Amino acid sequence: MTAARAIALRLLARWETLLVVAIVGAGIWSTTLSPFFLKRANLLDLVTPYIFIGLMAFGLTFVVVAGEIDISIVSNMAVSVVCFAQVFDAGVNVWLAALIGLVVATVLGLVNGALVSVLDLPSLAITLGTMAAYAGLAYVILSGEGVASFPSGYTKIGGGYIAGNELPIALPVILAVAVVLGIVLHATRFGRYVFTIGSNREAARFSGIPVMRVRMAVFAASGLMAGLAGVVYVGYFGSARADAGTGSLLDVVTAVVLGGVDIFGGAGSMLGVFLALVLVAELRNGMQLANIQGDTQDIVIGGLLLAAIVAGNLVRRAQTGRFRVRPLRLGRKEVIAHDAADALMPSKLAPQNLKGR
Amino acid sequence: MNFPLRRTSAQSLASAVFRLREIGILFALGAAVAFFAIRAPNFLSTGNWQGIAQNVAIVIVVGVGETLVVLTRNIDLSVGSIVGLTAYLSAATFAHHTGASVALVALIAIAIGFGLGLVNGLLVAVARVPAIIATLATLAIYRGVDVQITGGGNITAYQLPDRFLKLASTKPVGVPTLAWIAAGVAIVGAAAVRWAPWSRDFYAIGSNPEAARFAGIPVGRRVITAFAISGALAGLGGFLFASRFPTVDAVAAKGFELDVITAVVIGGVNVFGGSGTMLGVVLGALLVATIQDGFTLLRISEFWRLFFNGFAIVVAVTIDALVTRRLQEALRRRRAEALAARHLEAGT
Repeated sequence: MTAARAIALRLLARWETLLVVAIVGAGIWSTTLSPFFLKRANLLDLVTPYIFIGLMAFGLTFVVVAGEIDISIVSNMAVSVVCFAQVFDAGVNVWLAALIGLVVATVLGLVNGALVSVLDLPSLAITLGTMAAYAGLAYVILSGEGVASFPSGYTKIGGGYIAGNELPIALPVILAVAVVLGIVLHATRFGRYVFTIGSNREAARFSGIPVMRVRMAVFAASGLMAGLAGVVYVGYFGSARADAGTGSLLDVVTAVVLGGVDIFGGAGSMLGVFLALVLVAELRNGMQLANIQGDTQDIVIGGLLLAAIVAGNLVRRAQTGRFRVRPLRLGRKEVIAHDAADALMPSKLAPQNLKGR
Repeated sequence: MNFPLRRTSAQSLASAVFRLREIGILFALGAAVAFFAIRAPNFLSTGNWQGIAQNVAIVIVVGVGETLVVLTRNIDLSVGSIVGLTAYLSAATFAHHTGASVALVALIAIAIGFGLGLVNGLLVAVARVPAIIATLATLAIYRGVDVQITGGGNITAYQLPDRFLKLASTKPVGVPTLAWIAAGVAIVGAAAVRWAPWSRDFYAIGSNPEAARFAGIPVGRRVITAFAISGALAGLGGFLFASRFPTVDAVAAKGFELDVITAVVIGGVNVFGGSGTMLGVVLGALLVATIQDGFTLLRISEFWRLFFNGFAIVVAVTIDALVTRRLQEALRRRRAEALAARHLEAGT
């Protein structure tokens, strides 16, 4: 067991090393495109426009490690952004309005969580539905109009700089969030529960882990992070629109998967996700320098996402000698487990139990 | 051990539940029609129904392919981008070669869609990328290719030959040509999943991939086939899309995949895989299109449409899961009873 864990840890370390190498490589490529890339101000500012994506990726990490998926996360952020804007527009203090945005996003995350964990429905289909529903909701709440009259005291924090006007406030913020969430995921009982549920939900249930509550909490956390992303989004862009964040789902999922989080659940690290976020930000920045359009950039990022999963599969194949045969996780485990229980407990089927009928 | 009698009754229970599903959608459809007929004065006009038929046609064509994918317990999110890409390529072909044969261009669009679907299938079956992630990536990649090809430009109706535009505007026997094509695709699809041995495999794979593998079904090849057909039909859908909405640019059919998936899921194709009928999908698409049309007539914001789509998916998935669970419970009980009866007969 310890040997297996040592190997797993070493592989994980290798994955993150690989990410660092990729970051350096992309940095060299960017430098050839523009000599300004290596300026300290540019390096420090690299991740700033991707902070909201990073926050969502951190939230999604919990969900994916638990063996689920939440593709509604970007729509959820849009709802939190427009709620924030509407409440602020109605004359409420900007901080209170931001708090309300957070609460709304957490509630929407809880809705996902309740459907997935209490009713035991497939998270893929449920969050596909809520992705559309929440996106529609955002438009309905802010009916096509934007709000851009946020006080500068607020937007200065989102898009502002400290330490000689060079260090964007956003950078220490995302670092702090990454560290805190990393501790929660890797060094608390809750985090261990999330990993255990992701590796084997049945085993987790039999070991007395409150599976339902933890799965619910994971989706609530994902919602909360979407809300936080919304708060940061408004601070950075200084405006709120119903289509906030449209198209960033690809980046969010790529950051998580490229970060080495096992898409089948049960493995992953916050550090990896953070490094993958830096890599994605760096690549997008580099492609901007090379004058490549946003939608064309998506080809590269999408390819990266696919490559990350294929690479992960190859690593796993090298480890175990075969691919994992699980085409899609859709919550069938329960049913199979039931059948297995029937097979193991023939007494249930024995005639004496049915004689009275 | 075989219990022919019991098995028959278990099977009829299952099929009764699925028939119930289609009857349920019919009821919902009837209720929606009645509601809008009362509230929106011109809802029942022939013109409005022809409009609904045109809107629903492309959703059905693409939905038939999506159904095959969902039957195998996978999902294809990339169809929106395949429709957009092939719509632009069809329109561009006509714009540059005004004399091109309509059938030939349709075949080209289908072939391109087939190729893109094949890529999805290979990613899922060979590279073992989960379908949701694979097609989320290709959704972005195919759209990126589309943007690259259009280069920010667009094709307008004036550049397209009348022969092509007629596809959407003519109405033989009062039914739009598009609807005839959709009906043809749906009938062929329904016949295939009902009788073709290779497409029965889709149900087997969706019900239990492991068991299907052990039963000797070439699971990988069938999954690739499902994705390739889904891509090919999305290609045909793109071709029809260009004739219906002849001003095509790089954002054409963005988000179309949600309309398709909503229709498929509402139509009773189980996201757990392994069950669903083409009739259900057609009814699901009709229900979605009818409600959207009614919303438009009642001047309800089109954003409610998006909300409704998502809400409908959640409701349909919830109902499906609960019904499936009940059904499995009932089947298990019947099996147990049958076994018990057998034991009693044997006097053990």
